[in-house]
Amino acid sequence: MSITTNVATFIRTRYHGLVSFLALFIVWSAVSHYELVSAEYLPSPPAVAKAFVKVIKSGQLGVSLGSSLVRIAEGFFIGTTLGFLFGVAMGVSATAERLFAPLFNALRQVPIIGWIPLIIVWCGINEPSKISFISIGAFFPILLSTFEGIRSVSKSYLEVAQVFEYNRIKLLRKIVVPGAVPNIVSGIRLSMGTSWLLVVWAEINTRSAYGIGDLLSSAGDGKKPDIAFVCIIVIGIVAFLINELFGHLEARLSTWRKSYR
Amino acid sequence: MERLGTLEVKNLSKKFRSRNDELTVLNDINLTVQPGEFISIIGSSGCGKTTFLRLVVGLEKGYEGEILLDGQRLNGPSLKRGVVFQDHRLLPWLSIEKNVGMGLKDAKSDESRKAIQEHLELVGLKGFEKHYPHQLSGGMSQRAAIARALVNRPGILLLDEPLGALDALTRMYMHQELERIWKQEKITMIMITHDVDEAIVLSDKIVVMSSRPGTIKKIIPVPLARPRDRASYDFVKIKEEVLEEFQLHTEHPFTYTI
Amino acid sequence: MKIQLLKNKLTGLIIPLVLYVAWDLLSRYELVPSTLMPPPKVLFETWWVMQSSGELLLNMKMSLLRVGAGFLVGASSGFLLGTAMGLWKPVEQYLNPVFNFFRQVPVVAWIPFLLLWLGIDEWFKIVFISCGAFIPMTLKTYDGIKNVPASYLEVVRVFEYGWFRLLRTVIVPSALPSIFTGLRLSLSEAWMLVIGAELVAAGEGIGNVMVIARRLFQTDVVLVGVIVIAITGFAMDRLLGLLETRFLGWHRTQNAQ
Ligand SMILES: Nc1ncnc2c1ncn2[C@@H]1O[C@H](COP(=O)(O)OP(=O)(O)O)[C@@H](O)[C@H]1O
Ligand SMILES: [Mg+2]
Repeated sequence: MSITTNVATFIRTRYHGLVSFLALFIVWSAVSHYELVSAEYLPSPPAVAKAFVKVIKSGQLGVSLGSSLVRIAEGFFIGTTLGFLFGVAMGVSATAERLFAPLFNALRQVPIIGWIPLIIVWCGINEPSKISFISIGAFFPILLSTFEGIRSVSKSYLEVAQVFEYNRIKLLRKIVVPGAVPNIVSGIRLSMGTSWLLVVWAEINTRSAYGIGDLLSSAGDGKKPDIAFVCIIVIGIVAFLINELFGHLEARLSTWRKSYR
Repeated sequence: MERLGTLEVKNLSKKFRSRNDELTVLNDINLTVQPGEFISIIGSSGCGKTTFLRLVVGLEKGYEGEILLDGQRLNGPSLKRGVVFQDHRLLPWLSIEKNVGMGLKDAKSDESRKAIQEHLELVGLKGFEKHYPHQLSGGMSQRAAIARALVNRPGILLLDEPLGALDALTRMYMHQELERIWKQEKITMIMITHDVDEAIVLSDKIVVMSSRPGTIKKIIPVPLARPRDRASYDFVKIKEEVLEEFQLHTEHPFTYTI
Repeated sequence: MKIQLLKNKLTGLIIPLVLYVAWDLLSRYELVPSTLMPPPKVLFETWWVMQSSGELLLNMKMSLLRVGAGFLVGASSGFLLGTAMGLWKPVEQYLNPVFNFFRQVPVVAWIPFLLLWLGIDEWFKIVFISCGAFIPMTLKTYDGIKNVPASYLEVVRVFEYGWFRLLRTVIVPSALPSIFTGLRLSLSEAWMLVIGAELVAAGEGIGNVMVIARRLFQTDVVLVGVIVIAITGFAMDRLLGLLETRFLGWHRTQNAQ
């Protein structure tokens, strides 16, 4: 009973959206079926489905997605760790802030993609360059959100800690970092999202190894729009999943904040 | 425009429906307000005062019973009834002058300018025309909100705890101001408050409400000469009479101060 | 007070200064190959050559024109869609799910298709930039309109406003801060994407200058490019920021309290 009512309410509340998607799908099918646009430019829905099955079966998709995700994990790890450390340092110590803020503020002005040529010159077109690129992209959101999170911890809590004579370590562990957690998690979400699109950018620009961006651009070059379409869908789904996953984490970790207010 | 109107509320009930239950907020309210009267409504927090006010303004729909203005059923909000909300709700991007002129059809005409100027003077905000809301204190903002509500010369002014957020001294000053405005404008005022003194200082009648569901428990007339002396014997007597209503309500004897 | 402030500012210069000196020494004594890290002096010379030959200006002009066009198209259509979804329930119900669906896909993923459909010339770049600029603008406009406080709308209901006056007095001013945020996000996205588009598809433009330089291992030119695009991006954002303070004086001061 509950499943059918759930489906019913889902359809009732999302009815309009479903209609739009259906209309879009019908237009797409009709355009490709009557070859209003040639299949070279717009693959038909069945062609995309076939391509999907093909790249899964051949293992192409798995390998590409896997290597992109490994790259992200590495770059994300380096970038977030550094960003977090600098963020904490600058949040806690005014001197650290004065020392580093101007430098980072200047570096932050470079549009992320602008780093690509420089990194390629410095690190070549293999793994190190992709990973450094992703690290840079992941670094700034975390740095900013950690810093802001720590600065947003209210002075009144710090005074409470003073009354209880906390030492610096305890202050950090018990008050400052937990207070900053919601900001930090939203920073992680941002930098994870950024990492995902940067890996695609990096792979499109270097084309050296397996990767979802590589699969995408070679499909484009090889005039295989059906495979390119599959890549777009996969890239979109992963971006969506990342956002959802970290969004849930964020919501969960900041419940105290909402209930507190 | 005929400015004053008689407000009649007959057998008014209001329910809020949520997905799976129904909350009766107001039950069988009967009240007649004569033109030019000053009425205070007093009651514990959550007893439905704001809901009642919003019904009279026309911001809340779906009720049983009748709300009549000069025998006519209400139909949505109207310029004939001014409101001052508990939070002043001045638009932060408009200057005080423009905020006050919000209710005028053509705020730029000479007539409108004159009306705005007059009402700013009425509430003692002359010289603050070009200021923005964030530059005013709480009391001044409330006064600006009162000017905004009065500028179309409504027949009835409804005030929802207009002085609730002010400190005690400012509030006493505002009592004098409100009384002066009421006399000068010869307008009907219905004010919600949780301050018994405030109600007695200002009102012709005090409507005491009880909660769950909100009903009118008693209507206490205040036949004292104005301006009223808070320390006088009669004043204290009436205050006791009002307070008694709350003590009888045994569940939460002191919640009215919240 | 003043001395303290000056001291604070100077502290910020320590690290850049140290880096600069290290860079100068390392490259001067060839501890790092100058192909990788040309000394600062060379950088200035390169910049001067690019500047005086007109190469830099010409390419910057191309890039800026593309950004201008893409931003104009993307941001204005984003504004329209955001407004329509914010104001009209049916538009919101039918289009918002579709918009949300497509916005999950990073614009970079569309590159092969756009190249296929539009070739590698101007059309590709401008459409690509527009798509990128479109998304934040739509989101922020929609957000701004959706978040007009209900309490303000009630005030206006009492005054019996028509829809035009409602829009002008309450909805637009209330949504404006969010709309400005959208403009700034959208412009910086456009600036990033023009570089990206020029990296991928040949043609004049600062991004293209950088790709060619990197193929020829002219690190100095690449570095000049990085610095120039950073400064330009910063300047464009500042410009919008100035407009914002000019239009939103009430917002700033209110929030500062
Ligand atoms: N829109 C609404 N939907 C559901 N319940 C409401 C709504 N507005 C008010 N209530 C409920 O009605 C009761 C009376 O509210 P209110 O009139 O604001 O009380 P008061 O102003 O006397 O403090 C409260 O219990 C409140 O929770
Ligand atoms: Mg209330």
